[in-house]
Amino acid sequence: MQILESKKIGERAYIEELESGLKIVVIPKKNFNKKHAIVGIKFGSIDNCFINPKNNKKITIPDGVAHFLEHKMFEQKNGTNSLDTLTALGVNANAYTTDTHTAYLIECTDNFDEAYKELLDYVQNPYFTRENVNKEKGIICQEIRMYEDDPTSRVYQNVLQCLYKNHPVRIDTAGTIDSVNSINKKILYDCYNTFYNPSNIVISLCGDFNPEEIIERTKNMIVQKESYKDIKRIYPEEPEEINKSMIIEKMEISTPIFVIGIKDKPKYGKEYVRKNIAIEILCNILIGNSSKLYKELYDNGEILSEITFEYQSSTDFAYLLLAGQSKEPEKVLSKFIKQIKSLKKKGIQEEEFERIKKKVYGGYITEYNEVSDIAKMFMIDCLEKVNTFDILDEFLTVNLDYIKEILNEVFVEKNIAISIISTN
Amino acid sequence: MNYKYINLKEGVKLHTIKTEKFKTNLIAIFITVPLTRENVTKDTLIDLILHRGSKNYKTQEEINKRLEELYGAVFDYGIEKSGDNHVFKFYIESINDKYLNDDNEVLKNSIKILSDIVFNPIIKKGEFDEKYFETEKEKLKQIIDSKIDNKDTYSYYRCIQEMHKGKVFGLYKYGYKIDLDYIQNTDLYERYEQIINTGKIDIFLSGNIGDEQIALVKNDKNISKLQNRVAVYNVQYGRSDLVNSETIKEVSESMKVAQGKVVIGLNISEKRENTSFVALIYNMILGGSANSKLFQNVRESQSLAYTISSRYLKPKNNIFIKCGIDIKNYEKVIQTIKEQLDDLKNGNFSEEDIYNAKNTIIASIKGISDEQDTTITYYFGQELSHQKSNLINYAVEIGKVTKKDIINLANRININTIYFLRD
Repeated sequence: MQILESKKIGERAYIEELESGLKIVVIPKKNFNKKHAIVGIKFGSIDNCFINPKNNKKITIPDGVAHFLEHKMFEQKNGTNSLDTLTALGVNANAYTTDTHTAYLIECTDNFDEAYKELLDYVQNPYFTRENVNKEKGIICQEIRMYEDDPTSRVYQNVLQCLYKNHPVRIDTAGTIDSVNSINKKILYDCYNTFYNPSNIVISLCGDFNPEEIIERTKNMIVQKESYKDIKRIYPEEPEEINKSMIIEKMEISTPIFVIGIKDKPKYGKEYVRKNIAIEILCNILIGNSSKLYKELYDNGEILSEITFEYQSSTDFAYLLLAGQSKEPEKVLSKFIKQIKSLKKKGIQEEEFERIKKKVYGGYITEYNEVSDIAKMFMIDCLEKVNTFDILDEFLTVNLDYIKEILNEVFVEKNIAISIISTN
Repeated sequence: MNYKYINLKEGVKLHTIKTEKFKTNLIAIFITVPLTRENVTKDTLIDLILHRGSKNYKTQEEINKRLEELYGAVFDYGIEKSGDNHVFKFYIESINDKYLNDDNEVLKNSIKILSDIVFNPIIKKGEFDEKYFETEKEKLKQIIDSKIDNKDTYSYYRCIQEMHKGKVFGLYKYGYKIDLDYIQNTDLYERYEQIINTGKIDIFLSGNIGDEQIALVKNDKNISKLQNRVAVYNVQYGRSDLVNSETIKEVSESMKVAQGKVVIGLNISEKRENTSFVALIYNMILGGSANSKLFQNVRESQSLAYTISSRYLKPKNNIFIKCGIDIKNYEKVIQTIKEQLDDLKNGNFSEEDIYNAKNTIIASIKGISDEQDTTITYYFGQELSHQKSNLINYAVEIGKVTKKDIINLANRININTIYFLRD
């Protein structure tokens, strides 16, 4: 067992990697009533082509399988549904699917032991029939329709279509009505048997736990399986340049919303951590709510509220998104690009850099407030092979020179696109 | 966790929640006034103007820079409808000084900034800053227009509006565009003074706090200047002012949508002491979880919806059912929902359903103290309804509810309004 510690914030993480490659992470939090457990599987909507380890054959699957699987995992052979079982225990149970991973979680104040057993049991024992697979199609199609009416979902979906030409990160996590209707029992089992493999799973727990005890108990509940140390995923060749510089879609909304996207290349390990910090600092300096540009946009009524930013980086892709609401999104974009150029030319002021650095640092500490946030953060970082505490330590190594380097590397005009949802 | 309160002035309370669980301290100032048609738009505009700057932190830029220096202290504000009240809410969340190795006095400065924004605005000749007044008026127009953007929240608001037509609870919480043509800066400032001098003020301080930190609030320059007042607001007794009848108001509206949205407003005509506890359990069984009748029968067995749920609105003693459906399935969905309501009236649910519902509610009560903002919201709810239930008593009351109570209540519940957003 490995113990990681951050003295700065007074937290510890206990990590056990089993021979099969399955990782268990425990972050003990004394005096909390809630216990949170989350099982992460590195299988997301981008994994739509891979080598089946059973027969070494390449298979391509319809869009939306990871999400469909997530919906179907709750059903049990004995006719019960684990979501119902967990809810009956007073447990908050849920699941979600992203581009890169699927997660199943429970959060509760009582009955944790029973609920945890149920969680590990249902994630490790799928039960798909032709009937129960077909029944789910109607529900998922309603979910897809719901997102079709949601301008926020649309604007994010479109920006990824701008940035990527071939990479499946451009497709919707839930798939399309057609792709969902083409999913069957065999496809689900093929994917389950490939990706729900110990080597591809992280279990993360946060709450008032005795780490040794819960790790031991977890080990005893893991079903022994042949471990596939390296699942071969195949992604199409993706050009360096963006696919389209703009997508505009009309919807019934009052003021247009937009997302500016920047296509980037991923980094790994400590470099990934450093880059994340640098990009957050740069976004704040460029267009954050204390910046000159933000003030100008707000005072002119050109934006309605703050610009939010998020940086996503995984094994195979990386991008930065900046979102906001404006009557004239294209004007915001051109001012943003102008600001980037001017910052490259004039340089960053020491005072501003130090101030923003404090802000970003405070934000990271705040992430240690709730058990759900903590468990999830460690799960994701562990899947991406990152030590979560590194972010607090790497802070010291992020200096102005490095910030300048990232500014020149990432904020490049030809890699920028914009997605707009405009009014009818 | 240790909750206490003291009266700083008559009508001005300081609530403290001492806890060592969090990396942050959370300070909140809530000002409660009666919701009225006359003031609803003015109040929202005041809320917006205040966040732009105060006498000591003149611009947003200045405020934000100061917050950044305080390790990214986060300021947040908003205005909410709570029963027949309008509540101004202002927060600052900042890192506990314990986790920082310089002497920034983060908490002290956070209190200073927050109180200045709320109680010390820039005033020239009895008016708010002209530029802030004009830009925020424009912004408010856009905010009001944006209510159609999210079809879920829009449908929910529309159902409430139809159900409570002609009553203050039917008002839109951000107000009306037409008012903005008439609001004068001087009148607005007068309204501000009225709010500050007659509104109910509740200040919350949550975190690793002791006498020293409490003194920071007490002795704050702006807070100590507040006057005694007989606070004017509506106590939330959790009674409905609607009358149950057999006729259902059906409203449908067309927009360009791929999915239809149904919101059904139920009215509870029951005034007994324990009504809210029974209603919480009734709601949990009806549509409060994945085990609920609505989720099981509308979604799981007939695949008619992806989202279907119900929520209990305590201040008005109403329940709202919400779902997103294929438009052609409307009749079938309504029929299925009505069957579930009848099942509850006829006692077609098990002791196990009740046990599970209680478990879920009690678990959420136990979890409240693990979140700073939720704890504040809970105690503020108690404050507005003049209840003094701590979290343990609350769980005990839930435990006492019987099947008979639930059936009795079910028979006092009628569909009042069905709202349907379609293509």
